Formats: sequence, C-alpha cells, structure tokens
Amino acid sequence: MSTNISTDLIRGHTVTIILNILRQGDSYGYEIYKKIIELSQNQYELKEATLYTAFRRLQKEGLITSYWGDETQGGRRKYYRITEDGLKKYQQNKEEWLFAKDVLDQLITGGDQSESK
Amino acid sequence: MNLNDEVRKYIDDLFKDVGKSQQLFDLKQELVTNMHERIKDYQKQGMSDEEAFKEAKVSMGDLSGLVDDMREAGREEAKGEVYSSMTNRISTGGIVISVMLIVFGFLMTISMNFMDVAAPAKSGTSIFIVIGGAILTYSLLARETARKYAMNRIRAVLYALAVGVSLFGIFVGVTSGLATGEMFIAFSSSTIFLVIGIGMFVSLMLSEKVDRTK
Repeated sequence: MSTNISTDLIRGHTVTIILNILRQGDSYGYEIYKKIIELSQNQYELKEATLYTAFRRLQKEGLITSYWGDETQGGRRKYYRITEDGLKKYQQNKEEWLFAKDVLDQLITGGDQSESK
Repeated sequence: MNLNDEVRKYIDDLFKDVGKSQQLFDLKQELVTNMHERIKDYQKQGMSDEEAFKEAKVSMGDLSGLVDDMREAGREEAKGEVYSSMTNRISTGGIVISVMLIVFGFLMTISMNFMDVAAPAKSGTSIFIVIGGAILTYSLLARETARKYAMNRIRAVLYALAVGVSLFGIFVGVTSGLATGEMFIAFSSSTIFLVIGIGMFVSLMLSEKVDRTK
C-alpha cells in the first residue's frame, strides 16, 4: 500500500483525524492505524511514528488520556481516550474544516465562469 | 532467535542511546505490543515470520522525532534524581547539625546549673535546643525516604517555624521565670509564643492536602 494523498496536505489534520477515531470509542495504536487506512479506503496510510508523536502531543495538551489494557496474551495495549477538551477541539476543527473546504475548492478550481464572460 | 526477542531487540536498538525514563519504558512496551499485532496480521495474509517482521519495520516510519522526545524525557528524569539527592544531602546535613546543637544546648544547660551563675543565665544556653529543634523539624520533613516523598520546602519551613516558635515560648517562660522568680511572669511571657506556635502547627496539620506516602 502506498501513500496516495500528499503528506503535506494532510499533516495539519492528523490531530483531527485521530480525535475523530477516538470520539467513537477508546482505541490503541495499531487499531487506530488500521482504522485510518480503512476510513481512507486504502488511499492513505499514516506512519506509526507520526501517530505516536501525535499521541504524545495530544496527551500533553490534555485532549486525550491513556491507560493500559489488561490483556494477558501477548503484550499489554496502551489505550487512548478522548477528553472533554478533546471533544471540543474536534468540533472546532471540524467546523473550521467544513468552512475551509468550500473556500479552498473555490480558490483552487473556481474562476472559469468570470473568465468566459 | 525467536520473533519475540527480535522485536524487542529491534525496539531496544531504536532507543539504545537514550537515557532511561518511565516514559521511554512505556513507549517501548507500546511499540512492541503494536508491532506484534501487525506481524500477526501479516502472517495471516500468508507471510513468513521473516517477511512479516521486515514489513512491520518498514511501516514504522521515521522515529527520530520520538527518539529526540525520549532523550529529553530521560534528561529531565536524570535532573530530578540529582535534585532529590541534593535535597536529601542538605537534609542529612541539617539533621546532623541540629542534633549536635540540641545535645550541645542540653549539656551546656546542665553544666550551667552546676555552675555558680545568676539564675537567669542557667537556662540561657538552652536557646541552642530551640534552634536545633527548628532545623531538625525542617530537615526531617524535607527529606525523601523509602516510604514518603519530601514535603514541599515552603511547608517544611513553616512547620519548622511553628516548632521553633513554640520551643522559644518554653525557653522564654523558663528564663523569665528564673529571672524574676515569679510563676505568673513565666507563664504570661511564654503564652504569646506558644499560642502562635501551636496555632501555626494546628493550621498546617489541618491544611495538609498532599498525601506523601509512596
């Protein structure tokens, strides 16, 4: 599987993507990694290194918390949970994105009509 | 070498020149667990142990940012250890000096009582017990032990003050009592110090919020 979306385009949204997954339930590193691939329908793979760096930052900012699972077989998983602040941040980022999406679309593809006039 | 060892060794090698810290320990455990799950998935797709391990390494990506992060965490933890051993050394010095002061004050007071001096001078040297008592209080509280964390330094100073003022009250009472030979003067002069000292002590005890047990 290869990265099909440019990393530059998606970098600013890594946090929102992770928050979106965690707001739907607690999860751990590898599962979140798989969910991202699944949600993107195999168009995007977030490298694990990026994921763990983001977890650390999110935790420092108090947007997520973590706890160890009690698996007995294999290693114990480190689960992440979204906080109240995290949920707020997600809502805010989502609204910003929905707004920016349309504007960007206009900026990048718009203008043809006025040209033809 | 089995796969468990190989994964563990691979993760250990990634962080091999990084100072130890709890954060590093946790992160390594997290990486190992997730890598194992990934390898298991690859094996289900029909890969051999070796292929699966190789694929898992590739998908890890560039960990240099995390390594730097962990190096920082290791340094902070080392700083904390130096700090706590420093405060413990200061506190050890404090205990030694205060015990010496108390013993000195005690013995001098006894010998003064056998000497032919004026009554008020007899208790004069016990001021060393007052100073020693305050320093001892601070040193014991600001010390990290096997079962308790050190108390916040400001609180420890306040406790030391409370003990010091109370002891001073007793000292003043005994001295003025000896000087005048009147019990009421002894009690009245020590009252204000004892009230302040014990008042401070009680309010400190009641405002104790942090549980220092480990």
